Amino acid sequence: MKLSVYLGASLISLAAAVPALAANTDITIVLNEELEVLEPCMTSQSNIGRVLLQNVSETMTELNPTNGELMPRLAESWEDQGNGTWRFHLRDGVTFSDGTGFDAEDVKHSIERTLSPDLTCEIGAKFFGGMKITPTVVDAHTIDITADPAQPILPLLMSTLTIVPAETPMEFTRDPVGTGPYKLTEYNVGQNIILDRRDDYWGTAPAVSKATYVFRTDDAVRAAMVATGEADIAPLINQIDATNPKTDFAYPNSETTYLRIDSAIPPLNDVRVRKALNLAVDREAFLGTLIPEDAKIATHMVPPSTLGWNADLKAWPYDPEEAKKLLAEAKADGVTVDTQIELIGRTGNFPNVTEVMEALQQMFSDVGFNTKLQMYEVAEWVKLYSKPFAEDRGPRIVEAMHDNNRGDPVFSMYFKYACDGLQSGVCDHELDSMIAEATAATGDERAQKWSEIFKMVHEDLVADVFLFHMVGFSRVSERLDFTPTIATNSELQLSQIGFK
Amino acid sequence: MRQFLARRAVASLVSLAFLVIAVFFLSRLTGDPTDLYLPVDASLEAREQFRQLHGLNDPLIVQFWHYLKDLAVLDFGESIRRARPALDVVLEAFQWTLALALSTMALVTVSAIVMGALAAFHVGGVFDRIATFFSLIGASAPDFWIAIVAIVVFSVQLGWLPTSGTGTPLHWVLPIAVLFIRPFGLILQVVRGSMITALGSAYVKTARAKGVAARPIIFVHALRNAMLPVITVIGDQLAGMLNGVVIVETVFGFPGIGKLMIDSILQRDFSVILASIIVTAMAIFIMNLLIDMAYAVLDPRIRY
Repeated sequence: MKLSVYLGASLISLAAAVPALAANTDITIVLNEELEVLEPCMTSQSNIGRVLLQNVSETMTELNPTNGELMPRLAESWEDQGNGTWRFHLRDGVTFSDGTGFDAEDVKHSIERTLSPDLTCEIGAKFFGGMKITPTVVDAHTIDITADPAQPILPLLMSTLTIVPAETPMEFTRDPVGTGPYKLTEYNVGQNIILDRRDDYWGTAPAVSKATYVFRTDDAVRAAMVATGEADIAPLINQIDATNPKTDFAYPNSETTYLRIDSAIPPLNDVRVRKALNLAVDREAFLGTLIPEDAKIATHMVPPSTLGWNADLKAWPYDPEEAKKLLAEAKADGVTVDTQIELIGRTGNFPNVTEVMEALQQMFSDVGFNTKLQMYEVAEWVKLYSKPFAEDRGPRIVEAMHDNNRGDPVFSMYFKYACDGLQSGVCDHELDSMIAEATAATGDERAQKWSEIFKMVHEDLVADVFLFHMVGFSRVSERLDFTPTIATNSELQLSQIGFK
Repeated sequence: MRQFLARRAVASLVSLAFLVIAVFFLSRLTGDPTDLYLPVDASLEAREQFRQLHGLNDPLIVQFWHYLKDLAVLDFGESIRRARPALDVVLEAFQWTLALALSTMALVTVSAIVMGALAAFHVGGVFDRIATFFSLIGASAPDFWIAIVAIVVFSVQLGWLPTSGTGTPLHWVLPIAVLFIRPFGLILQVVRGSMITALGSAYVKTARAKGVAARPIIFVHALRNAMLPVITVIGDQLAGMLNGVVIVETVFGFPGIGKLMIDSILQRDFSVILASIIVTAMAIFIMNLLIDMAYAVLDPRIRY
């Protein structure tokens, strides 16, 4: 009996002592799902990015998502060689966590691996679709990268591509090796991932010595873990759990919600009808009710930190009388405004999405639209959101949320507004030309051209119904000196975390 | 006995074969995993490449033939989402579910049998009232609610136990406690009912008349005879747990097979769905066999 009491007491005290024994520069981060793979070429997925991006696997360039500035990382400088070729000068004295040196062959292999059809890397599919990239090693620390068609933003594209050693096999790895300030020391599937600080990192040593990542699907549990001290950061918590102003932060998450209008089908092909849809929505009424009050009313497809953001654009006002008037005018001209319009939402796309869609349906109904709301699970929704569209479709409006945290509109505007864009509901040849010109332009001219495109989409074509630039909520332990930013949606650089 | 085992094995294999065929075709009716795997902005070429790489362009019957050929050499295929052998993914998850289910059911069985037997001996007494109380809670309170309330009370407010995870024995206390309540209430009621019948039988009256003490009457004479329906219910409850306890796994961050199955269905990770079903079906087959053998041990009249 005494022995069992002793053993029990020892076990309990040992378990209780574990957090106390941990060094105070070790942190625990609780993510909302377990990582399915731990692969550097998949870091465009939020949680893989939060673990690996710039912690283990670095990129040649790095985007400052708060101001859109492109900074050197593994490449110290780069210049345009013309004809679609950019020359990158690589940092000297960099080593991978396996001890091997970093050189141009590693960059070449990383590009070929990420874009290989045998791997289906998300970075390749998401950022390098429709282009041919040819890396040519000039010397150990210089590499030419040629894009066909030419990409004026190739240095920006390189901020998405993670660098792995040339020896990395052409298959998904579970033991990522990188040049970053941390190395993977443990991967206990289903339980945790542990990163330890490297002593031989080329840059400044970060304050966090060790990071343990754990996975909890339940929102309330993640919030509770930071409250009890079991974790230090929960990058994503539910708005209803964000109740403590000392630890809970709202941050712009680079997502924009909008209604994509299929303007090829009557009555949506009439600009007065599209204006009426915009005027029917009381956006202010959503803020602080169904949508977090920190969200911003959108006038663009991209967040305000994006190149070419047009500050002159104003949100469409809530004016149901004007909407009714426009619909009456259209009807008088023979537009079939009474046709039933399918209003399509995506289940679970963001908190309260069903209620938001129901409210929108009511607002449209109030000005005279005849809409039928249908909510779809993601796989079915994608078929309605992306081309090829069904030939015999009726008028359709699709709710969607788009993420552009890369600082340049090119990652959004072609897909969403070009005639051949995969999710484009419009086809305007002048807009196509403008997008092509902006895509090829550089510097201030590029910003100016995008700015004009934003105006055309929002005011002239009235292509879509923009809703909100969304926010996410994080909980951060009071012992940490860290404020979540727009970048927290896709990465969590341990080197940016300090201690109070 | 050997004949019985062989018959059961053949019957189970036939059931399993039907299950695999049904799940293979039904899961593919839900659609193509390409749209779920690739980002929304992925080009049509990228989608086509993905389908080609994973054999999704082949006719269904060809895909099924490839699957059967691989299964014959115990190759359960590769998880599309995890880029690893599906069987490895499933076995890793199953060991957590197995540990959680077995430890919970061991505690449930012992507690429910003792409490149920005592409740039956003094109908309307203290044990009987406690038994009724637990049965009511088990039947009426949803798991997820109990789990969240338990975390708020014992972890956040009192700070006695960790909120979730698997690191130390203390991490297992809340999940087991939450899982315990429902089967405990159910089995306790079955034990109680079965024991009331047994205690009213002629052989118990004879034992009492001969002056046998209460404890041996309850735990030796009556309990053994009252156990057959109890074993059936225990088996049923354990089978349910081996299929995964999704709510508890989700809330407490247990990487078990229930959550894996749900995720795989939502993600259309076909190899993992099939491997999960085959592994859990095999486990349930083995468990049912053990239960049948337990019948024979408890009741000498049962012979196979």
